[in-house]
Amino acid sequence: MRLAQILGGLAAVLLFPNQVLAAEPLPQRWVSAGGALSEWVVELGGEARLVGVDTTSLHPASLSRLPSIGYQRQLAAEGILSLQPQLLLGTEEMGPPPVLAQLKAAGVQVEVLPSTPDLSTLAANLQRIGTLLGEPQRASARFDAYREQLQRQADWLAQAQQPAPRVLLVVGHAGGSPLAAGRGTAGAWLVEQAGGRNLPEHEGYKTLSTEALLALDPEVLVIADRRLKGDAARDALLAQNPALAATTAARTGRLLTLDPTLLVGGLGPRVPDGLAAMSAAFYPARQPLTAEASPKP
Amino acid sequence: MKPVLTPRSLFIALGLLLALALWLSLALGPVSLPLLDTLQAALRLLGAPLGGAELDQAELILGQIRLPRTLLGLAVGAVLALCGVAMQGLFRNPLADPGLVGVSSGAALGAAVAIVGGAALGGLPQVYAPYLLSLCAFAGGLGVTALVYRLGRRDGQTSVTTMLLAGIALNALAFACIGLFTYLADDATLRTLTFWNLGSLNGASYSRLWPLLLVTLAVALWLPRRAKALNALLLGESEARHLGFAVERLKRELVFCTALGVGAAVAAAGMIGFIGLVVPHLVRLLVGPDHRVLLPASALAGASLLLFADLIARLLLAPAELPIGIVTALLGAPFFLYLLLRGRT
Repeated sequence: MRLAQILGGLAAVLLFPNQVLAAEPLPQRWVSAGGALSEWVVELGGEARLVGVDTTSLHPASLSRLPSIGYQRQLAAEGILSLQPQLLLGTEEMGPPPVLAQLKAAGVQVEVLPSTPDLSTLAANLQRIGTLLGEPQRASARFDAYREQLQRQADWLAQAQQPAPRVLLVVGHAGGSPLAAGRGTAGAWLVEQAGGRNLPEHEGYKTLSTEALLALDPEVLVIADRRLKGDAARDALLAQNPALAATTAARTGRLLTLDPTLLVGGLGPRVPDGLAAMSAAFYPARQPLTAEASPKP
Repeated sequence: MKPVLTPRSLFIALGLLLALALWLSLALGPVSLPLLDTLQAALRLLGAPLGGAELDQAELILGQIRLPRTLLGLAVGAVLALCGVAMQGLFRNPLADPGLVGVSSGAALGAAVAIVGGAALGGLPQVYAPYLLSLCAFAGGLGVTALVYRLGRRDGQTSVTTMLLAGIALNALAFACIGLFTYLADDATLRTLTFWNLGSLNGASYSRLWPLLLVTLAVALWLPRRAKALNALLLGESEARHLGFAVERLKRELVFCTALGVGAAVAAAGMIGFIGLVVPHLVRLLVGPDHRVLLPASALAGASLLLFADLIARLLLAPAELPIGIVTALLGAPFFLYLLLRGRT
């Protein structure tokens, strides 16, 4: 009898490690430092457990109601402790290290997840967040849907028989001198994934001179404005930078706006939709992938 | 200008002020601890076998977070103010601050190299990154100051004017290099650099505290021994020399103390402005220019002021934190203007 119980327990551990681990008390008060991670916590139904977020957690907007713990690299130990968290979630950018050590000493579980933008990292991260929330199935289902969505996107692109459009992605602030997304940036990554050819040759985000903008002559201009949205961002940018109005993109009206919060924090839940919307604008002749991804005005 | 206070009453006042600052710094924070718990935890840290497990949290917050932070504030405030006095004495100008000999810009350059270069190298293990930053900042401050001093020397004589001008030139050069690193940095690195330039006592730990405490102690013991020489220097260099003081050696010691003290402070807490400029000024207004009083009084006042500024920094936006450089500049700049305008009428 006893032996059967032990064997049964052992089998349960081997077969369903997540459930058994979940049997230990789950952290109920979470602090999240990292935009995409906070978004995933909300996505997996953990918003009620969040008691504080950092300044990069901008999405969804309801997170702004929570106490702000400041910038993820400049966390303050006592400030976070005053929220009485059981868990601090963040990427490897989180710091400074002495503060993390102090938090650990105070009994806070510090979870550092990698922020590399690839699917295997995301799979592991979602699994971890799901386990901590006590929702491992929901996490793996969500990941499968995510991967499928990206796969559909890739298939859709593979069938596009046109040359990739020449794209320039700029990040601006209320139209002021825009920064062009160069190589190695999240902006360039999104453009390439959406099937565009990112034009700038430099590394990182840099301002470009008027002449350089004209010489690049993008066919599509993607505008990520930190303050203005939609038409307002577009109009402000063109008003402040008349040179842009002379580019092919502006003359043919192929200007689209992008939510700048998509550019921070790695692979967030909204990336596939953002990519689909961008692809639809890059290849206007093709049937958009999903209804919600139809080109927005 | 007639002193407002006698040295005796000033020291009593400053002593009380510092005691108050120390107590508040230990007793107040985003986590509100009952006064009794704070006291018991403090006694327990001193070795008294008090209370049970319910005090563990209070002991941890007091011992591992607030105490190192308070000691850091104490040391940084005192050493910045002392070096401010040394620089104002050396340049015989109340507007001088430690930045003049290049120690701040050199440290900032060192930090920029460490932050941007460290990120470009793919990042050191997170555990070592803060030490690299502190070492680079300290080395940068010492290096640029040594260069300024070297440029000011000719035929065995140190010209303070040449040093001042060389300091301005090297500051400009250092800031141009920092600008270049800023341009090369990515977004996250840039924010780290910006925050570092605003200073913070956050994340103080004992392992990083000891070097600074030792340097502070050395500077605080050494500079007052040169108080008489500094007083003589107020009359002029040749006058001090005729009074029998070794002026060249004094200059060398003052520059070295400043490079060491400010370098260590900046390496531990980032750039914190206005303490070195305003505090000696303020103390001089209260008791007059005698360095025998000015040096220790400035150390006390600088430590108190920085601790009060840190209280504001940690409480105002809790649970987030304001960089302390913003607080000291916000308090210091208007006060400095007030001193200037008051002197005019």
